[in-house]
Amino acid sequence: MSGSLLEVQNLDRSYGKVHAVRDLSFTMQRGQITGFVGPNGAGKTTTMRIAATLDVPDGGDVRIDGVSVLVEPRLARLKIGYMADQFHPYPNLDVLQYLDFFARAYGLRGDRRRRTVRSVAEFCGLVEFADRPATGLSKGMGQRLHLAKTLLHDPQLLILDEPAAGLDPRARIEFRALLKELAAAGKGVLISSHILPELGEMCDSVVVIERGQRIVAGTIAEIQRHQELEQAVVARTIGDAAPLQRFLLTQPHVGEVAIDGARLRFAFGGDDEALAGLLAAVVQQGLPIVEFARAEADLEDIFLKTTKGRLQ
Amino acid sequence: MTTITTDDPAPALRASPWSRLSDRLNPILVREVQQAIKGRVFPLTVFATLVVCVSIALFAASRHSEGADGRGAFYAGLATLVPLVIFIVPMHAYQSMRTELKGGIVEQLLLSRLTPGAVLFGKLQTAMVQFVLYVSVLAPLLATTYLLRGVDLPTILLSLGFAMVLCLAATAFAVSSAAQAIVPALQGVASLGIALGLGIATFGLIGFVLSGTYAMAIGALLRSGHLWPAVSALVLLAAYVTVLSWLAARSFLVHAFENKSTGFRVFLFVAPVFAYAWMLLAIELRYWSEVFAGMTFGMTLIGVCFGAFMVTEQRGLSPRVRAHAPAAPALALPATVLLPGRDRGLLCYTVYAVALLLVGMLGWPAWGSSTEAKLLGRSGLMVLVYGLVYLSIGRWLRGRLADNLQGNHIARVMLPLLLFLCIVLPVVFDLLVSDRVRGWHLGHVMNPFWTIDQFVGDRWPRAVPVLIAVAVLMFVLQLPIAGRALREVTAAIAARRARAAGGATAAAAARAEE
Ligand SMILES: Nc1ncnc2c1ncn2[C@@H]1O[C@H](COP(=O)(O)OP(=O)(O)OP(=O)(O)O)[C@@H](O)[C@H]1O
Ligand SMILES: [Mg+2]
Repeated sequence: MSGSLLEVQNLDRSYGKVHAVRDLSFTMQRGQITGFVGPNGAGKTTTMRIAATLDVPDGGDVRIDGVSVLVEPRLARLKIGYMADQFHPYPNLDVLQYLDFFARAYGLRGDRRRRTVRSVAEFCGLVEFADRPATGLSKGMGQRLHLAKTLLHDPQLLILDEPAAGLDPRARIEFRALLKELAAAGKGVLISSHILPELGEMCDSVVVIERGQRIVAGTIAEIQRHQELEQAVVARTIGDAAPLQRFLLTQPHVGEVAIDGARLRFAFGGDDEALAGLLAAVVQQGLPIVEFARAEADLEDIFLKTTKGRLQ
Repeated sequence: MTTITTDDPAPALRASPWSRLSDRLNPILVREVQQAIKGRVFPLTVFATLVVCVSIALFAASRHSEGADGRGAFYAGLATLVPLVIFIVPMHAYQSMRTELKGGIVEQLLLSRLTPGAVLFGKLQTAMVQFVLYVSVLAPLLATTYLLRGVDLPTILLSLGFAMVLCLAATAFAVSSAAQAIVPALQGVASLGIALGLGIATFGLIGFVLSGTYAMAIGALLRSGHLWPAVSALVLLAAYVTVLSWLAARSFLVHAFENKSTGFRVFLFVAPVFAYAWMLLAIELRYWSEVFAGMTFGMTLIGVCFGAFMVTEQRGLSPRVRAHAPAAPALALPATVLLPGRDRGLLCYTVYAVALLLVGMLGWPAWGSSTEAKLLGRSGLMVLVYGLVYLSIGRWLRGRLADNLQGNHIARVMLPLLLFLCIVLPVVFDLLVSDRVRGWHLGHVMNPFWTIDQFVGDRWPRAVPVLIAVAVLMFVLQLPIAGRALREVTAAIAARRARAAGGATAAAAARAEE
């Protein structure tokens, strides 16, 4: 099918005097992972709940694969997997029984149900925990179970509200790999998180909102270009970094230089040729340099530059 | 399809017979059974019941040698069953629904393919499984008492039948009360209502059984030949409560833009058909007069209660309902009465009132000769007109509030409050002015209870012209509202037809291109 997988159109939602979401619009394609970031209370959860048909907006609409969540909520529900920011399993049920119940609830029957439950449990690394009580899992394992439940009916669009909160570093890396695998299989993933370096690493694009309004949207590179964020360069010398700092400050295109231990980070406004010239000059000066590279595109910078930290 | 759900080449898990059987069952039922087996409460309850039953049976058997029959033991067993099926089973359903609502689990459920109806139905099935289990625990006791010749088979079967019907209705009521709690403001009310309602019912029934009144009543019933009307009435009543609970639970669980009203409105019109059919089929001719008058009067009250909900809805059609309006223009009129919206709600009440009036006009010449029937008929007429007045005010009030679900709830509290004030304020005024409440005067005209009481008797002829005038006035005032309600529906129908035609044209164009 053509068209976007997710289209948020002029969404509005107020709670009394709090305008949680105002005139928010963005789109998302298939096979993409889109990060949804903003300060606390920016309206991320509200937007995601509306997209998941669990809340209704005061104005605007959300289309999933062309289906309006307001006109055809039942159809839309089958296309999405929503992982809420909180997870409450049933008491007195095993992990497998829990998954089995939701597989039944999604209308899977017979062998298909058993196979799906098994492969989803394997995919999320839950097999060892199959007969643990679902209420007795650690936070991270609970998140995995929650994700597994979300994947049971093979949804086209995953809406994940802070899914990585509480995961250990290894689990996070695995989780990231899972999401990338899902995106490679053609699913869309809309994911909110406050762990920006990680989000920046896996997302194809981001939407930044603050106080319910869209601040910027696009790929990280696009936003950087658009925001004219100065490219940063990181350098490291052997021993004291102060001589290098003093030298850099005398050079053209170099902005602020910050020392962080043996490392230096400085803003650089020139192009690649100018950067090569700078490196040659440093070497000529006889400064013992061991590392010299442009810093990776950074979602944190975008976040800090575009949002103003006004909470609501 | 992704890696996740593609067919797994791993050797297929062998399906146990239970797994195969459970494919046909409601998922909720399967889960509740699994939870019950893992949990502690259920096995304990069953064990305790078993102990009680065995004790009673042993006691009865030891007494039998002294010449007592098994009658006492049977009713003791029945009294054991009452709290189980009227309190424990419905409370279990209530608790499980509450757990789901509290943890937001219900949202996960609603995102699945399970409909709210399937959720409720699964809970009812669970209740029935528990019922059968408790009865089978009781079975040895029942067999003992039967063998001791204390009770006959019809009594046993009838008692179990009653217990089952009550268990179903109580569970449906409990689940729908729990579902109301999805609105936080109603949580306290729901919990209190359910605990009180079920508690009172349980104690009342235990008393009824243990005091021997039940034994006498059922004996009399079995001998009198009124068995069929009584049993059918009970079954119909339980069905009524169950369907109503289902509608209520559904209305709280479905998406905010789904159509929650049409079910109630259709039910409002269909239930009386069943009631009258029951009268024609199950009641002897000589009782028709009383039964007809009583039922018709009851229906006027039910109509006002439904009306209070209908006129406090949001005004417009939701995007979903609009998109799913009927396609045939001929359906515009019935749709205007049955589709959601407070304007259409008031119209729906009016149509219901007129229909009831017509039924009354057909029935009263034949069966309305007795004094009681006449009084009931007049009261019913006044209730209908009062309903029209109060519901019109209610609709207007609702229009002053925010156009969201909260507004609906607030209006539903305000309407009874308004009635209360209309009753109390004139009384307070009388007390302040003259230190005592004088007789009825015009200030009490908005007090339906007193006014009806004053005018159904000798003063009826004075009330008739006023009633007609008020009814006509309310009717005329309603015309523009009804017109607007109709226009919204016809616009939705036209939009739907245009979309369908557009779709057809596009499809034809695509075919032509090929
Ligand atoms: N049910 C509610 N009732 C009243 N206000 C609400 C409700 N839900 C959200 N809000 C308000 O709407 C605003 C947006 O909330 P939301 O939960 O969408 O933010 P968020 O971006 O998810 O924040 P966080 O990063 O803290 O999760 C907040 O100011 C919040 O107080
Ligand atoms: Mg949030």
